[in-house]
Amino acid sequence: MVWSSIALAVSLVGFAAVIPAAWIAARTRWLSWLPGTTLACSLLFGTFVGIVLISSTRPLRLDLGVAPFQFGIEIDPLASFFLILICAVSLPVILYAAAYLPRHYSPVQTQWIWGLTSLFLLSMALVVVASTGFAFLVGWELMTLLSAALILVDGTSKERLHNLFIYLLMMHVGAGVVAASFFAFLPASGGLHFSALRASGALLTPGARSVIFLLAFVGFGTKAGIIPLHLWLPKAHPIAPTPVSALMSGLMLKTAVYGFVRFTFDFLGGGPAWAGYVVLLAGAVSGVLGVLYAIGEHDLKRLLAYHSVENIGIIYMGLGAALIFLENDAPAWAAVAVVAALFHTLNHALFKSLLFLGAGAIADATHTLDIDELGGLVKRLPITGIAFLIGCASIVGLPPLNGFVSELLIFQSFLAGSTLAALPAQVILPLMAGVLALIGGLAAACFAKVYGVAFLGRARTAAAESAQEVPPMMLSGMGLLAASCIGLGVFPRLALDTLFSVAQTLVPGSSPPTEIAGLQRILVATTVAVLGIGLLTMAARVRRRVTAPWACGLPGLTTRMQYTSASFSKPIRAVFAAVYKADRKLDVLPANRPYFPSSISYRSVRTTSFERSLYRPMTNVVVTLATGMRRLQTGNIQVYLLYIFLTLVALLAMLGVQE
Amino acid sequence: MRSLIPLVQALVIVFGAPLLRGVVSKLKARLQGRQGASVWRPYADLGKLFRKEDLVPPLASPLFWMAPRIVFAATAAAVLLIPVFQPAAVFGSPGDFVLLVGLLALARFFLVLGAMDGGGAFGGMGGSREALVSALAEAPFLLGITAVAIMARSTQLAGIVTWTLGQNFFDISAVHILAFSALAMVAVAETGRVPVDNPTTHLELTMIHEAMVLEHSGPSLAFLEWANSIKLGLLLSLLIGLFFPWGMAAGFSLPVLALAAGAYAAKMAALALVLAAVESSVAKMRMYAVPDFLGIASATGALAVVFTAFGGR
Amino acid sequence: MDLVQFAAGKTLSSSAVFLLVTVLLLAAAQRVSTSIKLFALQSAIITAQVMATAYTEKSAEAWVVAAMVFGLKVIAIPSTLLWLVERLKTRRAVEPTISGAKAVFVAVFMIFLSYAAVQPYALESHIAADALSSAVALILVGAFLMVNRRKALMQIIGLLVLENGIFLAALATTFGMPLVIEIGIFFDLLMGILIMGIFAFRIRDTFDHLDVTKLRRLRG
Repeated sequence: MVWSSIALAVSLVGFAAVIPAAWIAARTRWLSWLPGTTLACSLLFGTFVGIVLISSTRPLRLDLGVAPFQFGIEIDPLASFFLILICAVSLPVILYAAAYLPRHYSPVQTQWIWGLTSLFLLSMALVVVASTGFAFLVGWELMTLLSAALILVDGTSKERLHNLFIYLLMMHVGAGVVAASFFAFLPASGGLHFSALRASGALLTPGARSVIFLLAFVGFGTKAGIIPLHLWLPKAHPIAPTPVSALMSGLMLKTAVYGFVRFTFDFLGGGPAWAGYVVLLAGAVSGVLGVLYAIGEHDLKRLLAYHSVENIGIIYMGLGAALIFLENDAPAWAAVAVVAALFHTLNHALFKSLLFLGAGAIADATHTLDIDELGGLVKRLPITGIAFLIGCASIVGLPPLNGFVSELLIFQSFLAGSTLAALPAQVILPLMAGVLALIGGLAAACFAKVYGVAFLGRARTAAAESAQEVPPMMLSGMGLLAASCIGLGVFPRLALDTLFSVAQTLVPGSSPPTEIAGLQRILVATTVAVLGIGLLTMAARVRRRVTAPWACGLPGLTTRMQYTSASFSKPIRAVFAAVYKADRKLDVLPANRPYFPSSISYRSVRTTSFERSLYRPMTNVVVTLATGMRRLQTGNIQVYLLYIFLTLVALLAMLGVQE
Repeated sequence: MRSLIPLVQALVIVFGAPLLRGVVSKLKARLQGRQGASVWRPYADLGKLFRKEDLVPPLASPLFWMAPRIVFAATAAAVLLIPVFQPAAVFGSPGDFVLLVGLLALARFFLVLGAMDGGGAFGGMGGSREALVSALAEAPFLLGITAVAIMARSTQLAGIVTWTLGQNFFDISAVHILAFSALAMVAVAETGRVPVDNPTTHLELTMIHEAMVLEHSGPSLAFLEWANSIKLGLLLSLLIGLFFPWGMAAGFSLPVLALAAGAYAAKMAALALVLAAVESSVAKMRMYAVPDFLGIASATGALAVVFTAFGGR
Repeated sequence: MDLVQFAAGKTLSSSAVFLLVTVLLLAAAQRVSTSIKLFALQSAIITAQVMATAYTEKSAEAWVVAAMVFGLKVIAIPSTLLWLVERLKTRRAVEPTISGAKAVFVAVFMIFLSYAAVQPYALESHIAADALSSAVALILVGAFLMVNRRKALMQIIGLLVLENGIFLAALATTFGMPLVIEIGIFFDLLMGILIMGIFAFRIRDTFDHLDVTKLRRLRG
């Protein structure tokens, strides 16, 4: 306990110390490594704190301030898991950033980014360790503001500002709803300390319970990126600096998952009866639509942002299953589903950060993120290629990598749904296994496209032909993440055992069912089998000769004859055409001689259907209301004085009536 | 001795797969009124390919020749999960059928990547079509096995087989009929047989699997063809194990095992005959009719799962 | 004797799943002649069910009903409809509004609904839940086929499937219907088919097609 407190203090000081370190480093050339190193040390101490506290029975507590501005920290097992996630996953990202930032930004910009990133990580850590509503909301708000500041450092063009505005708007609406969900506890709990909220959770009326659950679902769902609240994700993540995109996609979304888990499992003890089905359905829709939107993209960062939507959907599917099990008195399987969702959270943080760092490396080497302009990169950037391949295989959920294990656990919990007595759960949960399989299949198609078009084949442009491998520090950052993906995939018990004990605190009265034992054994055995057979077949000496590929008898293949991203995804986009309603405009000039055109122009704009059907009407309503309210602002000073006078009269009247 | 039996059954599938392919081709030929090649022809083909040299396109990366070997390794490792002569496999654990699907997905992922690395147009074409077919085939695959697993109250393939062995064949179960229909349709799609894909076509625009292996040659092509045959043997053995396992050896004595091997051979021959008959009587669907076909398989699988809730019979 | 009893028992308990398979195939069918043959197959399964009921309930009337069902619904009506298809020279495709996999999903949902609705009721009343559920499923899917298909002929088939469902429901609840009711229903059906057949000819002669979505002049 003492050591963890000291380590925590050192870590906090370290986060703060990055700012003066950055200031110094901006002034002197040879101290430019200082902020990065300071930040890495703070993160190491933070990880240490988390590891110590995740298995301890006494959480670390600290309370300051007076109501209503109570500021408290409580690091219980769930918080320490997320603390480890934030600190440990950002370490490789910081390592990468130490080499990436100086190559792309001026020294002043670099130090600004270091300072802001340190505070950004601090705010995320604050969100997960907060034990009062005030501290939580402060951290929540700081996350948004600091990430917005980091986006601004990268440039202020008109389009970027527009995307940033949408990001800030949606984040603040979400924060407002989260705050409302905290305040909805007030009548029952009388204060916003988490212990008070927990105690009052059992005494809530069903109406209040439903309201709080819905507010928490919408508020945290906005931050997590559940469809249809995902609009900001593909706009905000691509415009941040690459290490920051990795942090936003890998870690910031997880704080929303933390908040949702804290609210539904800890405070509400399971939510209303229908909660599980709502969460399950939202997760399924997000998963399918997220991956379908991703298949239509060819900008690498936007594609990865949509895949974050898909994976958050999978996490929510696991959480929904857990809520359904909890509702039907099956705590053992509820714990398994929670463990599966939390493990997928960890895995997603790992492989999504890896993929974003890989995208940054591609941008560094070729100065473009459009995969249609790449090709053959695996020969120019071999180590990046291998790391990116591991990231692709993990996110698709292929054995023996970590994405497969968490999806397997979610599958098993869905199958266990058939043992419940309630008919809806008995039918819906196993059917969700089919939906999860569909999501996995589509994700495999998408990443086969990404890797095949960007890294394999032949280079489509000169930029791709002349790409150089990135500096070793960036490679080591990616390598650490790739190694952990493989490690957690073959030896999942490293994380699963700890996660089961975390789940015990959330879902009391459960012990791991016997179905989960033996998982690591078979994964290791299968990995050994695959590797063994693979190496055996590769070991044999084979004569190899280089010759031109088949071109249907034509003189030769040009690089333009390869499949592009749009052509690879065309069959899937054609089958799911109802999802991609593109506005297509085809202009043939001159109009009176259509068979002998002098020019043809084709324009296809895809606005996602949610923008058209949900957001535009809502913004129109808001704008109409605001325009109506503008009539109150007449500009006439006498009218303003009248307002003040009327307010006074009204207050006096109210006082009089009360008496 | 005891633990060697499951290994032997895995080796039987792996090394007997080309024979299965030969038998199917021979039956197809006979049904179409031709003589057909010998049933041992695929072995001769593999031998010929292994002796040749590997042709690699210029500018292809090492992944081009590594991918076929990874495909073979993943498919062969998947065989280790299937019970064949006994209701036990080399590896088994709760939820191992998800691992089976995962290994087949790994094989398919690298097959598509190897095709894209060729740098030609056909690799991409085969890859994109295969991506569509496999994306839609995963759901009915898992739904079918899920339905059977729920009925058997076990998520381990060996457990499902053991449960089915204890059932009466004439107790017709709605869940099993529907799950079998779904899995049969998926097996046709996954192994690239008519009506989803024609394995003997030479017209590039009609190819799905063949377009992906177009650029490979020599030992790489041998591994890919062998992996394809193993996949066919694997899926047919899975169908037999889940739906018609009677005859499997309960003990370890030689006569019981011999009987099990004979029963297995007879069932495989029957399935090969059905496959040959189907391939000879229906035409290959155009590619955009395949999603409909797999959608019907998904609906059937979903109905099988739904029926498990109604006491499933 | 024992074997026949066994076969009869098995028929009664397992015919539901085969009926549902024909239902799914009907939802997915792409040719009119295939739909007609599937309907004939369905009626044959129902005939087998009637015969099994006749054997177990030992009622002579039921044998007559079985013969009538076989003669009318397995032989007479399907061959008449096939002849009608030949004579009308319509295109062979079914032309549904929702096609292929989506229609099968709707059929699956209908089957789920009918099972979910019938199950609690059947448990209390000791009726064979399977038979009644599949009967309700036939009714629902028959109605869906009538809504989904654009050709006038296909709507006749939808109606016939619906009628199969009603017949099966009556069979399940009364264990062998009184002969008089059955004869009445059959004559209704016969008249209905005759009239619809004549109308199909008249529609085709007047409009040159059988697409019902285009027959909309009679509106306000």
